[in-house]
Amino acid sequence: MADRPRPPISRRRLLQASALGVPGAWVLSSCARAQPLGSPAPAASAGGGSASAAASLPPLTEIPIASPQNPVKWPINPGNEPITSGLEPEMNATLRVYNYPDYVYKRVLKDFQAEYADYNVKVELSTFNDLPEALTKIRSGSVPFDVGFLTYNYMGKLVYGDLIRPLNHDYIPNISDVWEEFQNPFYDQGWQYTVPYTIYTTGIGWRHDLISEDIGARANPYDVFWDTKYAGAIAVLDDDREVIAMTILRNGGTDVNSGDPAVLGQTRDSMLEMLSVSQPRVTITGYTDIPEGTMSLSQCWSGDMITGQYYLPEGVDPGLLRYWSPPTGQGVIGNDFLCVLKGGENPVMAHHFLNYMLKSEVAMKNLSFVGYQPPLRSLTPEAMVADGLLPANLAGAIVKPEWFQVGYPLLELPVAVEGEYQAIWQQFKSGG
Amino acid sequence: MTVSPAPAEALLSEAQEPGRDRAPRGMSGARAHGLAAITAVYLLWSLVPVAVVVLFSFNAGRSRSTWQGFSLRWYTWDPDGSVINDESIRNALTHTVLLAVIATAITVPLGVLFALALDRWRGRLPAGANFLALITFVIPEIALAIGLLFMVTYLATPFGLGTTAQIIGLVTFQLAYPIVICRARLLTISAHYEEAARDLGATALGAVRRVILPMLFPAILVSAILVFADVLDNFVLVRYLSSDASTETTSMRIYQVARAAPTPALNAMATIILVVSTLVIVVGWLLYRRWSKRQGESTDLSSFAGNL
Amino acid sequence: MPDRTSRFIWPILGLPGIVWIALFFLVPLYVVFCVTFGTVDPIFRSPVPAWNPLEWQFEQVVVVWDRLVGPNNFYLPPVLRTLLYVVVAVVACMIIAFPVAYFTARYAGRHRALILALLVAPFWISYMMRMLAWINLLQPDGLVNSIITLGGIIPLEVNWLSGNPFTVVMGLIYGYVPYMLLPLFAALDRISPSLIEAGRDLGASGFELFRRVILPMSVPGIVAGTLLIALPMMGDYFTSDMLSKSPNTSMIGNLINLSIATPGQSGQAGALLILVLLVLLAPMIWYTRSNAKAEVRS
Repeated sequence: MADRPRPPISRRRLLQASALGVPGAWVLSSCARAQPLGSPAPAASAGGGSASAAASLPPLTEIPIASPQNPVKWPINPGNEPITSGLEPEMNATLRVYNYPDYVYKRVLKDFQAEYADYNVKVELSTFNDLPEALTKIRSGSVPFDVGFLTYNYMGKLVYGDLIRPLNHDYIPNISDVWEEFQNPFYDQGWQYTVPYTIYTTGIGWRHDLISEDIGARANPYDVFWDTKYAGAIAVLDDDREVIAMTILRNGGTDVNSGDPAVLGQTRDSMLEMLSVSQPRVTITGYTDIPEGTMSLSQCWSGDMITGQYYLPEGVDPGLLRYWSPPTGQGVIGNDFLCVLKGGENPVMAHHFLNYMLKSEVAMKNLSFVGYQPPLRSLTPEAMVADGLLPANLAGAIVKPEWFQVGYPLLELPVAVEGEYQAIWQQFKSGG
Repeated sequence: MTVSPAPAEALLSEAQEPGRDRAPRGMSGARAHGLAAITAVYLLWSLVPVAVVVLFSFNAGRSRSTWQGFSLRWYTWDPDGSVINDESIRNALTHTVLLAVIATAITVPLGVLFALALDRWRGRLPAGANFLALITFVIPEIALAIGLLFMVTYLATPFGLGTTAQIIGLVTFQLAYPIVICRARLLTISAHYEEAARDLGATALGAVRRVILPMLFPAILVSAILVFADVLDNFVLVRYLSSDASTETTSMRIYQVARAAPTPALNAMATIILVVSTLVIVVGWLLYRRWSKRQGESTDLSSFAGNL
Repeated sequence: MPDRTSRFIWPILGLPGIVWIALFFLVPLYVVFCVTFGTVDPIFRSPVPAWNPLEWQFEQVVVVWDRLVGPNNFYLPPVLRTLLYVVVAVVACMIIAFPVAYFTARYAGRHRALILALLVAPFWISYMMRMLAWINLLQPDGLVNSIITLGGIIPLEVNWLSGNPFTVVMGLIYGYVPYMLLPLFAALDRISPSLIEAGRDLGASGFELFRRVILPMSVPGIVAGTLLIALPMMGDYFTSDMLSKSPNTSMIGNLINLSIATPGQSGQAGALLILVLLVLLAPMIWYTRSNAKAEVRS
């Protein structure tokens, strides 16, 4: 039914034929990218070489790790100075935006195009499933992404990989509306590179008619993922850090960035136990799976259940959605940020986009779709409830400012520890 | 996805002689009926789910499982979600068709020339290349996809991830179709035709152009259809070699959205691609029928020679 | 009247194809080896390919090997699972495809062209669309549950889409069975009716006829179909992704797909891929060569 190779190929002939390619190997090596795209660039101190301790870091033996206890002011690599003030946005730009799926309201992007219609800007949204994937793609340099919606636990790699562009604050006056602590966040002192996007806690979401139990009333609510009762009906986030952190908290730990081999070993065993006990699905689509009833309960981010109201099938009462995270605030807490990526072709328009997203009305409109609150002074939780964005049954999904003092942020990890985390994750995802 | 091409060609020729009854005499009717029932059940199982997808693309509501009335909402007027208004869906459709057209336009000539060469050119180099081409036919697609991804990422190729890389991957993966199909056809075309043409004064190139290529027409047509339809369907290669949203295809879109927050617009998009591939096949079949009718009138050698 | 061009014309016609295959098939495969046997950047954990085979290191292969057969062999379950799924799916495809192909080849009569067209139809329908179809049908409130619960009368809610291995195998069967059907049809179609009648005249019963004539003669079709569906299934990750999304149904393809996107694991993905290719090399070569033989015979 197919072909007759003439003359028939003997095994020897095959070897000879394939051997033809081998001498070409050295040709290839001369074609190799001289410096892999996005490889470490020599670090230098910020403009003027101030005496700031953080700015005079050794080039690249180890990336510093930012934490609330150890805030970091990142260096600015030579040749990567901010754009100068007063530039006109690029004409006919295609602004390439890189984000999680369903994590920005498409109407907001359309509005931006309309507002900058004079410049004929087109916003093109591309999506990633998790941050390792995003970082891999950004580093490959294959797409000139302008704006990234990213998380701070990859901040060091973004800076030292020369992937991110420092901001010129003149273009972003709307920063004044941002909560004080986010104008000087621990992961980016002096907001040299980032503006905050949303804040969130990580907790548990469920549909009350499918799971009648009040999960929050359990002594250890995280135990629900190890409960045979809900086998096959639950999911955890498709995110290595979140699942490992949740397992550490469930086992009574509080260091969600632990590098302790004993803790990690125990965590891995617990995760494998979860697989066999409750057969969770691993996905970030809880915001539709729970409302639609495909899943009954899922580990999720605080915004997921708020946005989940939008995905409820017609005729299902929005009051059925529930969200729990530790009411003391002692759970995983975090925020995402917006940044201008260095590979982008439209840095000026990108600055305008960041400023636009911080505008109160825009943030409010965006919140109505994505369900995550931005840390803006003009958008208090009280105002959100009053505006009907947050129904009473989801009050637990509001992130309180004081929780940032007691919550557990997921920090960047030392390289070796990161490898450990990813190995555990690979084992988990391969089903034991 | 690999398809065995020969039966597809058989199908096209099958269509030429309908009503060929091959049931042996005196077979038990009961067995035939039992087999007929199995076949009917199989066809239902195979096609009804697809029909449901098409049906729900016309649903008036958001649901993909509860029928809420007929509407073209998800094709035309829904302000955010319809095929016309959702730019990502529109873009996926145009990009998919673009890839299919370009990949077919490159694959088919490349493969036909290669098949012609293999028919006459003896030696280790062509034999080895032929063998490799056949291996691309059965190798798991993910292997080729990752190889090309690594190549584009770590070698200073003049092109990056995106449309060019996708086309290169697709052409490599599909190249075996025209090679295999045309070579099978070449085996049935007697070398005498060409020799006779040459005796009448045609150059080698002229003989290929005037005698062999016209006789290869059905094989070329069939391989073009197969490549086109298979590229429309491709997922693994186009996903690994894609860059940003502008290089997203319909299959990638379905993969991403099907488990997240799909609306019937996704069904509408899938339905449109189904219509496109059906159209291509129908047009291909009509062309084939016209060709064979014309061949029926003049297939003798003298008419060929006369044309030279 | 031999002209000069004729000696060079065939290599010239063939050259573009050869160059293409060398550039875009051999080179990528070689790069996989270079990445797999290369090193890893200490900070970013991105691969640093080793272009010179003399500098190749085999750490990643050792890591992968260790995870396959070592004390913490967590690659083994997905590998075994993949083999199990593929075997079950192939056997099921065969059981489904055989009677259908046999009917079409032998009894379809006037409807033969129509039935063949319907059998081929799935080729023109995107795989993803066909998976989407099942996602719709298998929703908790979808058609399948409505039917098995008789519209909610029987309280038997099956959650098909959350890590149900049955669903994944069903998806594989559904997705790949057409590729088994056509070669099988081609083989069965070649059996001459007179041969069967001769067997019948010699007194063979229906079963004997099947065992002694039809089955042996359909072996090439069975083999071709098996390889055509088994080889791509080995690298399949999207069926499990679409219909399950649970680690409990992860296949080798999922493992490779996950590793590719994770910093520091590209080499492991490459090593896994090379292992899969090594295992599949023999069947792949055998398939291309048996095809060649079949061509000679016909």
